[in-house]
Amino acid sequence: MKITLTGIGLWARGLTSLAGFAAASRDGFAALSEAQFEPPKPIAIPSRERRRAGLAINLGVEVAHQACDVSGIDKSSVASVFVSALGDTATTDYMCRKLSGADKLLSPTKFHNSVHNAPACYWAISADNRAPNTFVGGFLESLGAGLFEASSQAIGADAPVLLVAYDLATAPPLDEVAAIGDTLAVAFVIEPTRQAQLRQTSLAVDAKLRFVGNAVPATAPRAAALARLAATNPMGGGLALVERCVAECAKGDESGESVLRFPAGSQAHVELRLESTR
Amino acid sequence: MSAFVNAYTLTSALGNGIGALRKALRSGRSGLTDAPWPGSDVPCFLGRVDVPPDLSLPAMWHSRNNALVELALRQDAFAEAVDDIRHNLQPERIGLAMGTSTSSIDRTEQAYRRLDADGRFAAEFRQSGVHNPHAPAHFAAQRLKIGGPCVTVSAACASGAKAFAMAKRWLDQNLVDAVVVGAADSLCLSVIYGFHALQLVSPQPCRPFAANRQGISLGEAAGFALLTRERSADARELLGVGESCDAYHMSSAHPDGLGARLAIEAALADAKRGMADVDYVNLHGTGTRANDDIEGRVCGSLLAASRALASATKGWTGHALGAAGMVEAILCLDALATGFVPGTRNTACVDAPFELLLDNVEQRLETVLSNSFGFGGTNCTLVFGR
Repeated sequence: MKITLTGIGLWARGLTSLAGFAAASRDGFAALSEAQFEPPKPIAIPSRERRRAGLAINLGVEVAHQACDVSGIDKSSVASVFVSALGDTATTDYMCRKLSGADKLLSPTKFHNSVHNAPACYWAISADNRAPNTFVGGFLESLGAGLFEASSQAIGADAPVLLVAYDLATAPPLDEVAAIGDTLAVAFVIEPTRQAQLRQTSLAVDAKLRFVGNAVPATAPRAAALARLAATNPMGGGLALVERCVAECAKGDESGESVLRFPAGSQAHVELRLESTR
Repeated sequence: MSAFVNAYTLTSALGNGIGALRKALRSGRSGLTDAPWPGSDVPCFLGRVDVPPDLSLPAMWHSRNNALVELALRQDAFAEAVDDIRHNLQPERIGLAMGTSTSSIDRTEQAYRRLDADGRFAAEFRQSGVHNPHAPAHFAAQRLKIGGPCVTVSAACASGAKAFAMAKRWLDQNLVDAVVVGAADSLCLSVIYGFHALQLVSPQPCRPFAANRQGISLGEAAGFALLTRERSADARELLGVGESCDAYHMSSAHPDGLGARLAIEAALADAKRGMADVDYVNLHGTGTRANDDIEGRVCGSLLAASRALASATKGWTGHALGAAGMVEAILCLDALATGFVPGTRNTACVDAPFELLLDNVEQRLETVLSNSFGFGGTNCTLVFGR
């Protein structure tokens, strides 16, 4: 699949925008080890929904808007794919604790936020977007699954697709399922290359994506401080992809390629071959 | 590009496998019962599956939801059909697209009831592959030795339908040669108390589109279909898919059914069919006041220009949530195969602006349409043909 990445959004401790990421990369992310996580402010979400939204929703909506702003695409018409290994573990924990007690009456808001497509819905409301959206999962191989699904949607519809990938830091007992040390969200606008070539964008990283039937470890970021952060979250590979995109842009007209691999299932991976910048 | 359904199976409150499903429908036996659910005091009827305790699942996969998956895979020689196709194809060219909303949350609930003194999961519940949204796909993929893309779609009550949409994209783009489409959702306290919190659970067996409807009856199910680009002798065709979002509210549909209409129109356009070509519509028809009112208005205007039969089948099976799209896709596929069209069980006094099929009928069908709408305003419509 020939795709072009035209938008990037991100939120983690010390990294809250693509511009901030590019700036931090110049000194090897020196400030990252001391940085604390601050949740995003849900400014894009209409006030009626805002009071109902939790961290997973706020994160997803924040990076979705960031990526669209970088790309310049129409927020009201882009289809979207949301992906997470564990989903909204804060809500899962609330539900299971409440249901293990004597008083099982649940908050209706927490229940409707417990569906895994809740962040996608709040994004759609915040952007007045009636295009298809979905939530996909692949447990610890979710990023590869998300890249595959978003790219196939983009090629299939010959239109941009927004990919939003996130996982929250886990607390006991759900850290038994996956010990996630840092909350992280990344988003990419993925376009069919021949569509992306029709307009000027501030970011345009061409890539060939293919599904390969053997297992490999996920590509890690090159910068050591960034790699340490990435290793704490199933979506950490997204930081490696952001890093390579920023590096591709910095190279200007130099030719060259950079290959990233993300597991997609226990015996397969998604290969992303970044080709050049325009 | 074409996507053909070569094999399918369904295990639901109507029984295990297609034979049991046909028998229950023809004998007029609904799967809904008021037998109490362990740990619940919510007055309701449920469409439950009798899951035998001796399925011999490996301990790492233990959960009611995975047991449902296993039970479904043992019916109608479905796993054997996947084995057969594997002999002729590269392993990475066979994918799995799985819809679920509950995943194995039944097991996570159980783990929380049995936390150890440190507040952690007791040893038998330390099953990382089970307590996550991808669990049924993960389990089914290793059970069926799937080597290609294996992706879960979890979009509330549209999940099962959206798994078909995903599979059709993969086949259309030649990313795979075959896709196992699956869906599995299981009854658990999360859904019973969740819908109870929203005051949507009917104390009576659900009565879709009835004037005296009082809400939903929850159910559970697992089903599978095997899709390829090649047509086998008695295959049906997945003609079109349509997806949309209401962008309106988390748990209330758009009052004019804007998203529902977009999904239906997109599916018909994808299928290159008009409403006049459709012979049967399986409505989402949950039995809540709001859903049936809004879906009724959308379908009322569409069905006015159509000779299609229309029924809502959740009075038979219960609302299997993330698997509902699969249940109803298979009811549609089997109606195409047999000419037996299920009516709207439990409904007598109709409140719908179109003619609702109440009693089962026998009629040859060429083209059928199935609606699935979910929380988050997510909508998916499928069109199948002979």
